Amino acid sequence: MHLRGETPDGARRRVTFGRESFLTRGLRLLAAVAFAFALLGVACRLTEPTPDFQVQHDVSPSPPGVGRPATVSLKVIDFLSSKPVSGARIQLEGNMTHAGMTPVFAEAKEAEPGRYRATLEFTMAGDWVVLVHAALPDGRKIERQFDVKGVRAD
Amino acid sequence: MYDRQTNPPQPAPDSQPFDLLRVPLVGNLLRRRHARTVLQIPLFIVAALMILHGLWGPQLAPKNLATTLTWVHFRGALVLVLLLAGNFFCMACPFMLPRNFARRFVKPRRNWPRALRNKWLSLALFVGVLFAYELFDLWGSPFWTAWLVVAYFAGALAADSFFKHAPFCKFVCPLGQFNFVASTVSPLEVKVRDLNVCEGCRTKDCIRGRREEPESPVVIQRGCELALFQPRKTGNLDCTFCLDCVQACPHDNVGILSRLPAEELLADGMRSGVGILSRRRDLSALAIVFTFGALLNAFGMVSPVYALEGWLASTLHVQQEAPVLGLIFTLFLVAEPVILLGAAGWLTTRWAGRGGGVLQTVVRYSYALIPLGFGVWLAHYGFHFLTGLLTVIPVAQSAAAGVAGWPILGEPAWHFTGLPERAVYPLELGFLGLGLFGSLLLTYRLAEEEPSARRVRVFAVWAVLCVALWASGLWLMSQPMEMRGTFLGN
Repeated sequence: MHLRGETPDGARRRVTFGRESFLTRGLRLLAAVAFAFALLGVACRLTEPTPDFQVQHDVSPSPPGVGRPATVSLKVIDFLSSKPVSGARIQLEGNMTHAGMTPVFAEAKEAEPGRYRATLEFTMAGDWVVLVHAALPDGRKIERQFDVKGVRAD
Repeated sequence: MYDRQTNPPQPAPDSQPFDLLRVPLVGNLLRRRHARTVLQIPLFIVAALMILHGLWGPQLAPKNLATTLTWVHFRGALVLVLLLAGNFFCMACPFMLPRNFARRFVKPRRNWPRALRNKWLSLALFVGVLFAYELFDLWGSPFWTAWLVVAYFAGALAADSFFKHAPFCKFVCPLGQFNFVASTVSPLEVKVRDLNVCEGCRTKDCIRGRREEPESPVVIQRGCELALFQPRKTGNLDCTFCLDCVQACPHDNVGILSRLPAEELLADGMRSGVGILSRRRDLSALAIVFTFGALLNAFGMVSPVYALEGWLASTLHVQQEAPVLGLIFTLFLVAEPVILLGAAGWLTTRWAGRGGGVLQTVVRYSYALIPLGFGVWLAHYGFHFLTGLLTVIPVAQSAAAGVAGWPILGEPAWHFTGLPERAVYPLELGFLGLGLFGSLLLTYRLAEEEPSARRVRVFAVWAVLCVALWASGLWLMSQPMEMRGTFLGN
């Protein structure tokens, strides 16, 4: 540790208390910068919007198999009134968890009020993330996602 | 054939090799003093965008620039450029830009610790990155991918702010070590054009740097920061293609010349800044991890790895991924190489009668595995690159729309992907075959150093090993791909 101080003869000089290597100082500085970045990153990840709508999903069979059509059933509910939302246009988009893979798309049809059904054909084994793009009758758009884990290779 | 105790031969004056620096436009650009900076700035901007998007963009890997560019485009373009040209990614490395800027204000005075002047630290970091890639599913996490990029920037800045020269590139950077090893099979090399000119040179600017006056302490153009003295430099190991030597040479005697790929791995003479290959156990270990790591990294993306993980977890009664993954890494990066290379070395000395001991034999012949390892990396990364080539377009469109608030680059075309897998598979087989061919050729040429009575046996031993590794690569590439972000699937 270094402090600015004065010697008995009045000259200002740097006073050293204990030995602190340049490496220690460097590591301390690096840790401080990393900590600041981590705080910033975590803070940004904590800001999630409050949902107005709930989208319940079910995938059959579970887990699905590669190349075999899987039925995705969705139920869209108004979060405040707890009523099903009818008349929405819903697009499904399936992505692998790895970037660069071919996504799969499907359009969901309304089977009964507030309940929608689509068929997705997963093209690769592993974990998938399905994005739900829904356009509501009043023009609002909602985006949701859910995981489909462990799609089987057979 | 040349004497392998010395360096590869210089070309005869009437058969000058291709020199990239003499190509119109490209050569003119590369010879300019700030050429490297001009190449680094775009990559720095891209890296900054990747970090921003990784930290604050959508956290779904296929929708984020950090994961898409890092794990699909950067890796694929890297290995293809290494195959077709040379270590141009180190040349354009964006991590060096803040470091160079900081050095305007901070002049490091300390030398890199002597105990760390080898590849062991960077080898450990290389394995660490491969391990973190699997453990933290970096391929599926934009946030942690962005942090990985930040860590590279911080590491370069920290190491090169405290220590003189370029210790980060030479002794720390795992990516740099990958590039150094892979660039041994590249067709281009930064090289002296005419050794006779160097013999008459008194200033040695290529290593000392160009000064205002010969005895002046003021360096106006730095020389090689990686301790590669051009007249005694052999091959691409430790060369970042920074072209400082090109700028510093007062005789315009350094070019980017064509050469026979991988031939440098046969040379066993003293290399400036590197030493003698057969005495560098750290470099040999790097070559081995480069080769077996290629297979392990590819193994991590196919279905059988999950069966193995599941079996190990149930056998060991553990549910955490780290110990299971640690065991798999130990098996594939330590036990397997020790057993296979140890057996090959033992057979070479006992059955084929090669002198020098098992370890020395393994060190010498391990470099012959590099083309095969590179073939596996090429097949793996080439697959992702080619099948996901166009995915960067919708991701960039989406990122721009997110920032601008409207689709400034158009609506994201999520149906843009790349070549179909069935079209890429033959290329994967081709890369693997090319790697096997290169390794067999090197093994044969190395075996030629042995007395004629032993050659066939020595070659047979190492050829069997090469074919076995190639067959395992072939098996891996034929497996159904499977990417999971969770341990043991469901």
